[in-house]
Amino acid sequence: MLAPHMAQPAFVPPSSSDFFFNPAFGSSILATKPVMLLLFSVILISVFFTFSARKAAILPSRLQFSGEIVYNFVRDGIGKDVIGEEYQRFVPFLFAIFTFVLTNNLFGVVPFMQFPTMSHIGFPVSITIFVYLVYHYVAIKKKGLGRYLKEMCFMPGVPKAVYVILAPVEFLTYFAVRPLTLAMRLFGNMFAGHLLLLLFTLGGEYMLKSALFVKFFAILSFGLAIGLSFFEMGIQCLQAYIFTLLAALYIAGALADEH
Amino acid sequence: MATNEDGAFWTIIAYLISGLGFWGGLGYVGDRFFKTDFLTIVGMGFGLGTGLYLIWIKFIKENPPR
Repeated sequence: MLAPHMAQPAFVPPSSSDFFFNPAFGSSILATKPVMLLLFSVILISVFFTFSARKAAILPSRLQFSGEIVYNFVRDGIGKDVIGEEYQRFVPFLFAIFTFVLTNNLFGVVPFMQFPTMSHIGFPVSITIFVYLVYHYVAIKKKGLGRYLKEMCFMPGVPKAVYVILAPVEFLTYFAVRPLTLAMRLFGNMFAGHLLLLLFTLGGEYMLKSALFVKFFAILSFGLAIGLSFFEMGIQCLQAYIFTLLAALYIAGALADEH
Repeated sequence: MATNEDGAFWTIIAYLISGLGFWGGLGYVGDRFFKTDFLTIVGMGFGLGTGLYLIWIKFIKENPPR
C-alpha cells in the first residue's frame, strides 16, 4: 500500500516564489499577472462607476444604487466622520484609494484571477507614498513647516525637559512608522491570506494523487480552502477599509488645529 | 461605526513601535560605541515607556474616561 505513495514526489509547500509570475508576453516585468490585474482593476472601476452614475435618476436603478452605496460609505462613513468640516475635498482621494484597494484585494478570491495584487509590496508602498505626500502637504500648506513640526513634536502640557525624550519619538511616528505600518499591514494581510489559500489548495491536490486513505482528507483540505476563501473576502474588505480609514485619520491629524 | 477605536488602535501601535525603534536604536548604537551589551535592552524598555507615556497623554489625559 505504501509503495505507490512512496513513488510520489515529496510535497512542495507554497512559498514566496509562488508570488512571482513570468511575463505573459515579451520579457518586461510590466507584462506580468499583477500588473495586468492592476490595469484591469482600473478599467473595471472606471466602467462600473461611469455606468452607475451615467443615468443618475431620483429613483435609482439597481446599478446606480450599488455605486451610490460605495460612494456614500466612503463619503459619510470615512470622510465626514473622520475628517470633519473640510472632508469634501478629500472624498475623491479617499474614494479612489478605497475602490482601488478593495478591487485589487478581491481579485484574490475571484476564480481564474485568484491573486491579490496587493500581496506584492510594491503596490501598497506606492499607494502609501501618495497618502504620505498628501497628509504632509496638507499640513504644511495649512500651518507652515515650522508650526507643523512644532505642533507635531511638542505637545502641550508636558514639562519642558521631557520633550527631549518625546520629540524624537513623535517625529519618527509621523515620518517613518505611519507609512511603514500602512504599507506593511496591507501587504502582510494579503500575502499571508493568499499563502494560506495556496497551502490548502495545493495540499488537497497533492493528497488527491496519494493513496486512497489519504484521498479522504483531500476533501477536508478543499473544504477548508473554500471556507477560508470566504473568510479572506472579509479580510480583504476590512483591509481596504482600514487603509482608507487610516489615510483619512492622518489627513484629519494634519488639519487639526491642536492635538 | 468603530472608526475611533480602529484609529486609536493603530495610533497606539505606531507610538510603541517608534518608541522601541528610536530609543532601542539609540541603545544599539551606544552598545556598538561603548562595547557594552545592555544599552539596547535598556533603550527598548525606555522607549516602550516613552510610547506608553505618549499614549497616556493623547488618549487618557486629554479625554479622561467618563
